[in-house]
Amino acid sequence: MSAVPDNRGLTPSSLIGGRIPKMDAPEKASGRARYIHDLQLPGMLHAKILRSAHVHARILAIDTAQAKKLPGVHAVITAADVPWQRPIGVAKDHLPLKTDRVRSLRDEIAAVAADTPEIAEAALRLIRVEYEPLPVLTDASEALAPGAPLIHADRPGNIAMTFDYSHGDVAQGEAESDVVVEDVFRLHYVTHCCMGVSGVIAEFEPNGNLRLYSNTQVPFLHKREFAELLGIDPGRIRIIQPPIGGAFGSKLDIYPFEPIAIFLARITRRPVKLVFTREEEFLASPTRQPVLFRLRSGCKKDGTLTFRIAETLHDNGAYTSWGATTPFVMMQTVSSLYRVPHCKYRTRAVYTNNPYAGSFRGYGNLQATFAVEAHMDRLADAIGMDPLEFRLKNAQEPGETTPQGMHFRTCGLKDCLKSAAERSGYVEKRRANRARQADANPVKRGIGMASMLHVGGGAKIYPSDGCGTILKLDDFAHVTLITGASEIGQGSETVLAELVCEELGLPISAVTVVNNDTDITPWDVGVHASRTTFIAGNSAIGAARKAKAKILAAAAAKTGHAPEDLDLRGGCVVLKASGERVIELGKLIRSLHFQDKAELVMTTHYYEPPSKHQDREFKGDVSAAYAWATQVCEVEVDTRTGIVRLLKVTGAHDVGRVLNRLGIEGQIEGGVVMGQGYALTENLIVEGGVIRNPCFRDYKLVTAPEIPEIDVEFIETMDGEGPQGAKGVGEAPAICIAAAVANAIENATGVRITALPFTPENVYRALAGAAQPPRWRLAD
Amino acid sequence: MSAVERFAAPRSLQEALEILRAGEVTVLAGGTDLMPQSHSGKLPLARVLMSVRRVPELQGITETEGTIRIGAATTIRELRASGLVRGRLPILWQACDRFASDQVRNAATIGGNVCNASPAGDTLVPLLVLEAQAVLVSKPDGAIEERRLPLAEFFLAPGRTRRQPEELLRAIEVPTPPANFVSEFYKFGTRPALDISAISIGFGAVREGGVLRQVRIALGAVAPTPMRASRAEAALEGAAPDEQALAAAAAAALEETRPISDVRASDWYRRELVRNMLPRVVRHACES
Amino acid sequence: MPARVDIEFTLNGVRTRASVPPTMSTLAMLREVLGLTGTKYACGEGECGACTIVVDGRSVNSCLMFAAECDGREVVTIEGIAATECGERLVRAFTEAGAVQCGFCTPGLVVQASALLAANPQPSEAEIRRAIEGNLCRCTGYRKIIDAIASARTGSDPVLAGGSEGR
Repeated sequence: MSAVPDNRGLTPSSLIGGRIPKMDAPEKASGRARYIHDLQLPGMLHAKILRSAHVHARILAIDTAQAKKLPGVHAVITAADVPWQRPIGVAKDHLPLKTDRVRSLRDEIAAVAADTPEIAEAALRLIRVEYEPLPVLTDASEALAPGAPLIHADRPGNIAMTFDYSHGDVAQGEAESDVVVEDVFRLHYVTHCCMGVSGVIAEFEPNGNLRLYSNTQVPFLHKREFAELLGIDPGRIRIIQPPIGGAFGSKLDIYPFEPIAIFLARITRRPVKLVFTREEEFLASPTRQPVLFRLRSGCKKDGTLTFRIAETLHDNGAYTSWGATTPFVMMQTVSSLYRVPHCKYRTRAVYTNNPYAGSFRGYGNLQATFAVEAHMDRLADAIGMDPLEFRLKNAQEPGETTPQGMHFRTCGLKDCLKSAAERSGYVEKRRANRARQADANPVKRGIGMASMLHVGGGAKIYPSDGCGTILKLDDFAHVTLITGASEIGQGSETVLAELVCEELGLPISAVTVVNNDTDITPWDVGVHASRTTFIAGNSAIGAARKAKAKILAAAAAKTGHAPEDLDLRGGCVVLKASGERVIELGKLIRSLHFQDKAELVMTTHYYEPPSKHQDREFKGDVSAAYAWATQVCEVEVDTRTGIVRLLKVTGAHDVGRVLNRLGIEGQIEGGVVMGQGYALTENLIVEGGVIRNPCFRDYKLVTAPEIPEIDVEFIETMDGEGPQGAKGVGEAPAICIAAAVANAIENATGVRITALPFTPENVYRALAGAAQPPRWRLAD
Repeated sequence: MSAVERFAAPRSLQEALEILRAGEVTVLAGGTDLMPQSHSGKLPLARVLMSVRRVPELQGITETEGTIRIGAATTIRELRASGLVRGRLPILWQACDRFASDQVRNAATIGGNVCNASPAGDTLVPLLVLEAQAVLVSKPDGAIEERRLPLAEFFLAPGRTRRQPEELLRAIEVPTPPANFVSEFYKFGTRPALDISAISIGFGAVREGGVLRQVRIALGAVAPTPMRASRAEAALEGAAPDEQALAAAAAAALEETRPISDVRASDWYRRELVRNMLPRVVRHACES
Repeated sequence: MPARVDIEFTLNGVRTRASVPPTMSTLAMLREVLGLTGTKYACGEGECGACTIVVDGRSVNSCLMFAAECDGREVVTIEGIAATECGERLVRAFTEAGAVQCGFCTPGLVVQASALLAANPQPSEAEIRRAIEGNLCRCTGYRKIIDAIASARTGSDPVLAGGSEGR
């Protein structure tokens, strides 16, 4: 046996719960990371898109002759140049280049590839388009009215999607109610505002294969979609993801600019780069889904919820992207955040000439939570019960299976409620603030809470919700972890490396993560649904455990110890009981490698979560785990101006288990501030189909001086299916803020505002009684 | 593409004025407004783009015989860092402190802010309260000529001033306020600085005993140009700043304003803000 | 023939010449003419700070500065900052504080932080917040960025200070 000279035992040490710096942070912070915007390929052309000048019009003629003549222009294309293009998007209702009709101001009419972006831009100005304006439809309820003009001839009634869900008998529930409340809520347009604007580089290799440098969150799904679009074998498409300057759900779908860059690359036989300006990013990238939400809820005097009826109208915009499917998530909050014996939920997503909505961190749950949690406060007040007590009385518990079929193996909701309430002093402050509503001080204080339920173990939407891992150890025991999971800034590479190191007893520095090239990485469904830590984490652990078994078996064979007596610690094989070093890991691997029957330590693992597809009635245990949270917001409302300041957020998050404390805090803090923006500052103003504030000057992101104090406690419920017990957390922190702020404003002022955002003028109007509350204009 | 044929960077006032006299010049100071306006096509650049930041005569903050003179190319950062400004013109200092961001304050100049003539320009409201004058220079035939124009008469419309094409704004001159002068700048917004103000209010007056004299009230973003609210001033002149007088001043101010509705605020809300905040601004100034 | 302006300036300590169109921004010159891509475009109108550079010791938005204005001046970008002791300290502080997620805003923030610390080696939390009010970040919620800058104050973190002295 070849024990290393230093015979001090290595005690087990764990990385789990530690503060592990993000692996790519130094490269990014020093300006070395090269995003799509920074890449320059030899011979590369620059593309620009001509968009519609009308919200809704017929295209009568397009004249590109002058543009084509401009020196430096290599190609000017319209739909006529790509007759083989196919529709894209969730409902395949969207041609990249429009043929005879434009349906929104985003619509792509022509595109130019030129030597420089400036020349391409100049060429756009030389393109002449003749339009015949058509009647404009920019109100979702009007789109449903009988006789409304059709946005798409083959979509009768302008219906893009509908969702109907129910359990129990809401009429019975209402009959059993002592109190019933009903409100209409209006949720506004916001957009992702990734700091890196959208962009793509398309390049055909000499063999005809397509190479895409893309910001996508779902590379493998996109491979298939691009293949369908181009009519080529998906195997001939390679997607490379340079560092991505933020995504937040915006990069889940294909947008016309990507096929257009591919068309131009094919036609010019050159690499083509297409990068948006910030204005274009505001005008032509997706939004969060605007929703009109009617909610009717009831309870008994003792605080038992009796029923809920939710009806929502989604403005789909002119085309269908993932925004139309957010009701999947919204109905979970309506049906299952609390125990609701009778529930009915209905959505219609309708076409209009407005910008179309995509997926955005939280995926409909900010909207649903806003409505549901307002009603939890209203019902509690109506029966004279403290809202905390009311929520606790109706909260889900571990082991429950909801009527929608979600099974909560772990559920920390009650602990979240208690922790956030106690640490913030919720009950006393709420009472004291209410008592001061009518005093002379024009500046009021308010406190409000909201809770949330969100998938935390993937979401089985596609045939597979899985992720693959390839793991190899080189001759020096350096690990290369090749994962299908994309990195969009959330820190997946670091947490995956951590999980592998935990299994193999190695420091983080011993791992390189490869995660950005579909020719190398194994399949993954993509970054969405807060799934990466859970799914890719389990996949990485699986690969690491296989490697560990192989290593320990080899060490056992070499040293005569039983494999089960061995462990990996500190870069060595050790005796599990004493920690005594048996052999240095690199040495063992070299000895495996450099022999007659050489062995490589290289493993693969595919993890598929044990969740179920929902049935046609939207019932089923769609996620392998569920995340819970409660957030309490404290605000100050200046009644002279309507300015609402978010002072403090006290959160409690059931995250299963904290893996990387630094990373999870970053997710929470970033999510809270994104929620703050949704509640208080961000407002994409869309009037008559026109975005009025396409710039950071007038679309206001939260800035550093405005952030609240944030106090978070993690509730560790140790989910049995989760990697080391962890559940997903990426979306959770953004979900409750607007709902909790609404409740806090009510506590401060006595005024319940049901329309977002709480910008100063909107709040001032509401306090002055000058606001028009949202109305449901549909005939039932 | 760009019609600019020449970039000029004169190193003296003489040289700058000669370039201006030759015509077709866009004057560039800090560039923080000019660059985005020219890129968006809102402000087409002339044949010659002339940077004035190397002209020494446009620099410096000095005080002589009751007048504080601020060179037009003085940056907002320099104003904010100036003990003279902070001590003698605190209302201007407040506006500079609430001006955009650190990076913009490091580049933007007071001359640029004045000549850009935005109804929401941050330094304009305090300069109106301080009864500042624009010092304009030109060189029509060999010799430098200078004229002074009260800032209240300088602004014509958004982006338009009484500066003639051959003239350069050399400096802003402010009479040193008397010792018992109180003042306050208020910029509506949810952020400390990085905001285009939906409205701004400037107030200044001399306190004599319990009453206010030489009352000056200026308002931003409630009319096509920053404006003096003379009726509101009259309502407070010689009065004690009590509830009644303040309400009267606010009511008078509302009659004078002509706010518009845009993406930042409705006209109704702008009026409400003036009504609610003007009394508070005056009270705050008098309490400090 | 489009007009050009020939300029000469110091870029990250190196004498540099460039011939630029008169309306080109410094940001475009750095990225497209000189190939320094650490300075990022994210809004082009001075609202986000991703393109922050230091000119003659003061931080400015390079998107708002005409490239021709660089003539005769001392220009430092993230590439130059990262190669200084303070820059290295900041990169480490941002890394260890968890202040980097997607990272697109980070170079601008590191440059802005370096300018702050050069002018005010011991800024308070309020001063740090004000100093970065012109830098937008969509990922982190700023808390860890503020913490990172605070921990990079000279002498405020024995680990960091010791670490940089030791080399």
